[in-house]
Amino acid sequence: MKTDVLIIGGGPAGLNAAIETASRGIKTIIIEESYALGGQLKQQTQFFNNLPKQFDRQRGIHLMRTLIDRLSPLPITCLLKHKMIGVYKDGRIGIANDTETFPIDAKKVIVTTGAAEETDLFPGWTLPGVMTVGAAQILINRERVLPGKNALIVGLNSFSAEVAKQLKACGINILGVMDKTVSVNDKKLVEGLEDKKIRVMVNTVIERATGAGEVKKVTINNDGKKEDLDIDLICIGKGLAPILEPLEILDCEFGFQAKLGGLVPKYYSTLGTSNPSVYVAGNAAGITCLGGILLTAEIAALNALKALGVLNDNEVKVRSSFLWDELRSMESEESIETFIARVAHIKEFHEECELPLPASFHAILEGC
Amino acid sequence: MTDQYDIVIIGCGVIGSSIAYHLSEYKQKRILVIDKGFPLSGTSGSTQAWVWVHNKVPSWYGELSMYSAELYPFLERKIGDVEYKRTGGIAPFFAQTDWDKALRLAEEQAEVGIKVEVLTRDQVLEKEPALSPKIAGATYSDMDGNVNPFRLVELYIKAAKRNEVEFSFYNPVTEMVMEKDHYKIYTKNKKDAITTERVILAGGPWSKEIGELLGLDIPVKQVRGQVIITEPLAPFLKHTIGGMRQAENGEVLIGFSKEEVGYDRRTTMDVIQETAQMAINYIPSLAKANIVRSFSGVRVIPEDGFPILGKIPDKKNAYIAAMHSGVTLSPLVGTLMAELVMVGETSICLKRYSLKRFMNYA
Ligand SMILES: Cc1cc2nc3c(=O)[nH]c(=O)nc-3n(C[C@H](O)[C@H](O)[C@H](O)COP(=O)(O)OP(=O)(O)OC[C@H]3O[C@@H](n4cnc5c(N)ncnc54)[C@H](O)[C@@H]3O)c2cc1C
Repeated sequence: MKTDVLIIGGGPAGLNAAIETASRGIKTIIIEESYALGGQLKQQTQFFNNLPKQFDRQRGIHLMRTLIDRLSPLPITCLLKHKMIGVYKDGRIGIANDTETFPIDAKKVIVTTGAAEETDLFPGWTLPGVMTVGAAQILINRERVLPGKNALIVGLNSFSAEVAKQLKACGINILGVMDKTVSVNDKKLVEGLEDKKIRVMVNTVIERATGAGEVKKVTINNDGKKEDLDIDLICIGKGLAPILEPLEILDCEFGFQAKLGGLVPKYYSTLGTSNPSVYVAGNAAGITCLGGILLTAEIAALNALKALGVLNDNEVKVRSSFLWDELRSMESEESIETFIARVAHIKEFHEECELPLPASFHAILEGC
Repeated sequence: MTDQYDIVIIGCGVIGSSIAYHLSEYKQKRILVIDKGFPLSGTSGSTQAWVWVHNKVPSWYGELSMYSAELYPFLERKIGDVEYKRTGGIAPFFAQTDWDKALRLAEEQAEVGIKVEVLTRDQVLEKEPALSPKIAGATYSDMDGNVNPFRLVELYIKAAKRNEVEFSFYNPVTEMVMEKDHYKIYTKNKKDAITTERVILAGGPWSKEIGELLGLDIPVKQVRGQVIITEPLAPFLKHTIGGMRQAENGEVLIGFSKEEVGYDRRTTMDVIQETAQMAINYIPSLAKANIVRSFSGVRVIPEDGFPILGKIPDKKNAYIAAMHSGVTLSPLVGTLMAELVMVGETSICLKRYSLKRFMNYA
């Protein structure tokens, strides 16, 4: 199989990138390991107020439909239940489904593999009934199954707080959302939870979870004070980390940026990586908000189109600087630290390669 | 960590950690082992880990491997369970024309006491029914087996620590200066030099770079090997097969590719698919197994294929141990290097393995 653009991962970033390339008539293939497009949007029933201008404010699942509707008239190949499993020596990408393995020869690859949830280890963490907040959200919103009756949420962040509220709305008793530390930035989250009568427990860690065959009890330690709680569900929300394996086998270099989720591929202001045919976008390029996911995808796709000779420099320059502005305001709304880390990450890589940053980027740098 | 040692070992793979442990048995020297990563971050953490003897040729090299295999049970009694299993080793061949070669191998190895049998197809299939009926025969020896390299290195380190060896990890050696009667060793994490009377290079695939710190050109190649791993399968392979083995947890480790691509530890689809095909040719039932992951390691292969062991010529009190098949040779190399350093003589002559053999050309 041959294509101009291969997109790895059919979540919001992959879909938005595909809309950009396919609407220019560029041959585009998306590979997606799940049974359907949409990625994490598939179970995100919450409202997203903070989306790029071209989207109305809407629920995650509706945004998924919007994206798929925009994509469906375009000439694009979606390979569902297909995985990238490797790279051939000549650079072709190895794809497999359950029955066959074959190469795809792509001029440009955009990696939009998203992120994986981080877990937490404590005695008893492997018991059934202990799961990530993302898994609990899939169970209630997608599979329509209640994962438990009495739940404890471990880790406080915007995602775990959102899921805590959704679980409560389904009638699950939330004994609390706990974390070791809570920063001043989390004030809004704490208030939001307390509004919904959900207890927030700071300075608290899990000592152990117990139960025969499934989790029944948890011992927590609040600043030295131990307490046993009867629960049948522990949801771990320890944040996200970019999924990097495809970038590793594509020989991309990595750098460390704590605020972007740890190890992230190095990239330029084009979102091009150290491998000249590979771009990265969405959470794979650093953990961000949904707006950031969509916008980075557009920036990456635009620059891939430019590299393919489809768009001219000027067009890309004008739109990029518009998109970067929007990205700044979107990420600042959620957490300015993400944007600052992203810009620092880009600047470092440009300096390392002795490649000047585009003029439009200097204004952004000054803003940080 | 002080600043002064009698012996510093650079590299903590199966070779460096074995040398450290065996030296520590003498309980006479202050010993430090330095590694730029963690103890299994090099080749020793990405290996097939066969303790493989029977087709190592010429026979003097086979003999070295045999003695090392013989040491494993003894080593386990000293440092603990390293999951050494003497499974017997089968090296199948497919062509009738390989019979002569197999018989010659058996004859040659018999000279040094390695018992190699040449088995007919039926004899092989009786031993290992999962093998393909398409094979023509196999060479076999009950000397061969495999070991868990993770436990091996861990237990060497634990035993060495009990004997007061010190370790410094995540600490690359960046510079070495030879002074009149000692070496100054500079590392990334320590501003001041570490002084040591003796230094032992056990840097595996980085031997060339470490050698350069002493102004040496160590003639080794970096050769990547890719291995694929199946899901855990019910135990069905009794032997170590030339090409694959089934680990304790049921996974089958397959492959022995060789590519000179420098220190690049990625895997490639080409080799993964060739390896999978090879596996099915050997063991048809593997066609149904799922491959769950792959990894690659970088072999250090001396230019002529044989271990480089012993004193470094023209450098006082400097030693080197760099080789392929380091897992097989680990207990013996540790024993001999410790003898060399502590006693000055070795129970097996190491002349043939000296770095000097490459210097004659210059
Ligand atoms: C795919 C594959 C299969 C193999 N199968 C077998 C087999 O079945 N049987 C067998 O016997 N052998 C096998 N081998 C070979 C065997 O694994 C190696 O010979 C052995 O692991 C080498 O051990 P080592 O200690 O010399 O090297 P390593 O394990 O690489 O150790 C060297 C250490 O030096 C450290 N180091 C490097 N530079 C510096 C520095 N500047 N400062 C400080 N530390 C430094 C590194 O971090 C590393 O930990 C295989 C190898 C591969 C790749």
